[in-house]
Amino acid sequence: MDYGLSPRERAWRDEVQAFIAEHVDERLVDETRLRGNEGRGAEAQRFLGALRQRGWDRIAFPEEYGGLGKTAIEQWLFIDEIETAGAPMLPLTLTSVAPTILRIGDEAQRREWLPRIQAGEVDFALGYSESEAGTDLASLRTRAELDGDQWLVNGHKMWNTMAHMATHNWLAVRTEPDAPKHKGVSMLIVPMDAPGVSVQPIHVWPGLRTNAVFFDNVRVPRANLIGERGLGFYYAAMALNFERLSIGSAGMARRIFDALVREVRVRVVDGRPLRGDPWVRDRLARLRVELDAARLLGLEVAIRLDRGEVPAAASSMAKACVSELAQRVADTGCEILGLDGQLHAEEPSALVKGRLQWLYRLAPMLAFGGGTNEVQRDIIGFMGHGLPRK
Amino acid sequence: MQLEPTLEQAEMRRAVREFCSREVTIERLLDWERSGVGVDEATSRKVAGLGWLGLGLPAEAGGGGASLADVAHLIEECGRGLLPRPLLARMRGALGLAWLAPRSPTLAAVARGERTVALALDERDAREPAGWRTRLAADGCHVSGDKAFVPDAEAADLHLVAIGAPERPRFVLVDRRAPGVSCAALHSFGNEPQAHVSYREAAVLEVLEGGLDFDDWRRHQVALALAEMIGGMDAALAATVGWVKEREQFGQKIALFQAVRHQVADMGTRFTSARHLAWQAISRLASGSLGVTDFHSAAAWTGASFKQICWTAHHLHGGAGFVVEHPLRFHSERAQSLCIRWTPEAPALARIAATLLD
Ligand SMILES: Cc1cc2nc3c(=O)[nH]c(=O)nc-3n(C[C@H](O)[C@H](O)[C@H](O)COP(=O)(O)OP(=O)(O)OC[C@H]3O[C@@H](n4cnc5c(N)ncnc54)[C@H](O)[C@@H]3O)c2cc1C
Repeated sequence: MDYGLSPRERAWRDEVQAFIAEHVDERLVDETRLRGNEGRGAEAQRFLGALRQRGWDRIAFPEEYGGLGKTAIEQWLFIDEIETAGAPMLPLTLTSVAPTILRIGDEAQRREWLPRIQAGEVDFALGYSESEAGTDLASLRTRAELDGDQWLVNGHKMWNTMAHMATHNWLAVRTEPDAPKHKGVSMLIVPMDAPGVSVQPIHVWPGLRTNAVFFDNVRVPRANLIGERGLGFYYAAMALNFERLSIGSAGMARRIFDALVREVRVRVVDGRPLRGDPWVRDRLARLRVELDAARLLGLEVAIRLDRGEVPAAASSMAKACVSELAQRVADTGCEILGLDGQLHAEEPSALVKGRLQWLYRLAPMLAFGGGTNEVQRDIIGFMGHGLPRK
Repeated sequence: MQLEPTLEQAEMRRAVREFCSREVTIERLLDWERSGVGVDEATSRKVAGLGWLGLGLPAEAGGGGASLADVAHLIEECGRGLLPRPLLARMRGALGLAWLAPRSPTLAAVARGERTVALALDERDAREPAGWRTRLAADGCHVSGDKAFVPDAEAADLHLVAIGAPERPRFVLVDRRAPGVSCAALHSFGNEPQAHVSYREAAVLEVLEGGLDFDDWRRHQVALALAEMIGGMDAALAATVGWVKEREQFGQKIALFQAVRHQVADMGTRFTSARHLAWQAISRLASGSLGVTDFHSAAAWTGASFKQICWTAHHLHGGAGFVVEHPLRFHSERAQSLCIRWTPEAPALARIAATLLD
């Protein structure tokens, strides 16, 4: 066993770290933090431009489509470093939708969409969830009917994050109403400026915006149905699979934890260094242990991907573990900071830039979103340990 | 044992519940949050008119003369109904004044709802009263120092300011509008109005004496927090039970998933045990029969339970409970900020350990 990086991996990590040292500064981190999901600011555009220049925007692409040929472990190292640095992650358009189109689209579709995605002309919102179709995604009702050479789309999507800024929606629609529910869904690309699309904002607790999006007789060219009809549920799962490495990454929790540790090191309370308090030491040490463990669950996902396995149980472990750990980091952090822990990120005097308070508000979503943790635990049970399903 | 509220207490609880369900709507909560002042004038006047601010004040001063337990019942319902936090801060302030100085000449105006009191206790880098650096001038008539995170500081008429002293803190009353008093508003959880306040040779209206000693006074304040938390967690639990019975996924109510039922069961167990620990502490404090660890156990368990219950409530609600218009997040915010201010777990556990081991 050797948990050290291979020379190739080390060289890659060093390269990523050098890139971060050159391109990630306080301004970029602050902008990323303050913007939340309200689009990329000038700093983020610059950062993405630099990534593009190196071809790193295609890190999730297979080699034959201009990808870097990076192993999953190398991709995991990349995500871990970027997240830990607090730089913006690559957009899901590049890390989730594009690799899916590459795998399922026909040649014409690949030629149509990939160059535009790479040029930054096309940015997707991910339109899976509906009011009544959350965890049970396959019960979605937004429908598309073929009318001549066009799809006619009607229905609505909930929680369609980025829809107010995206150029297109990567939309799961029911095209085969008579098929069993998992087999009646297809993936359709819908331009956001098509007549009949309307967007309503939804504001959520951590200060982020998402949207309800309505489709009223929206017409879309027939060729915008990507892959095969009726396989959309599996394509959505495939697209989610590509997010696995980042969903299970402990990088963000680790970054906020590290910032908390830096603060505790210098903070003096009641005339004594806070770092001398036994309970503070104990809690921070415990969190560090949990973060170390969670990070290696992320590695487990990458190892299995590199072995050509579908790492269902491993990624469920990482996702459930990291999301619940984020909540403990937030809660413990707020407690350690005391009354300062309740200050909002917008408050200039907030310690750790109000990140603990923000994470306290964000963390619940990490557990129920991206596949709720009960379902993750089911997957660990039956995929990881062969427990019977029925 | 008498574990049920008396008839009068039950009646008062019902009245508060009705008031909150009528007046504290989600639209208003959002308006109050946006306004930055936490509550509007009309609602403040209504609550003052109901006599809640003066309920626990001595009858001689025109207050309701109610016991700590009575007041805790009131506050529990206010926590459940999400009564605006500045109003809860004013109740605390009024009681804080009465508990420290039961014969204060200011109490009558406070009992009538004409003047409100903010508690200016904490300082930025001091968690123990021994570290408070706010000082009384040698003439005993002026106060100087910086208080942090003072709830309702800007709107209150009076500040009850804690003075650091080697043995035990003392308290004075200062007019919020007196020369030398300045507030800097803070942006905190749920936009609860709080401020850092600086006092520079500010004139003292009264030195507060004749009431509870500091430790006992603080326990009374914590008792109010415990009651508020019990109300909040009851509301979060009830909302969750209602939701899981209504929400369907995979063609069935999510309440039918065993994993969901277990979480609701754990919430219920946590709530029931926290409510007993909290009320045991409150009633024993009121009757002067507090056991050595009663209070610390209640503080440690109730605070942690409130946060845990809110966390599970969010989880079981999914996206529907995550929008800013859902009351759940108000409870979650209060859970964390009440814990931080009144029932941090670590010092409570340290005191229990000291009782066990030292
Ligand atoms: C801020 C935000 C942004 C989002 N962005 C997007 C986006 O861009 N695109 C998109 O498509 N979606 C998005 N989502 C939706 C997200 O993926 C859903 O919230 C998630 O799938 C859960 O669905 P739900 O909210 O309907 O909760 P529900 O499905 O109602 O689940 C609620 C709870 O019920 C329980 N439960 C449900 N099913 C089971 C089961 N089988 N076994 C045991 N327990 C169960 C769990 O406790 C679960 O947490 C976003 C959500 C939020 C809040």
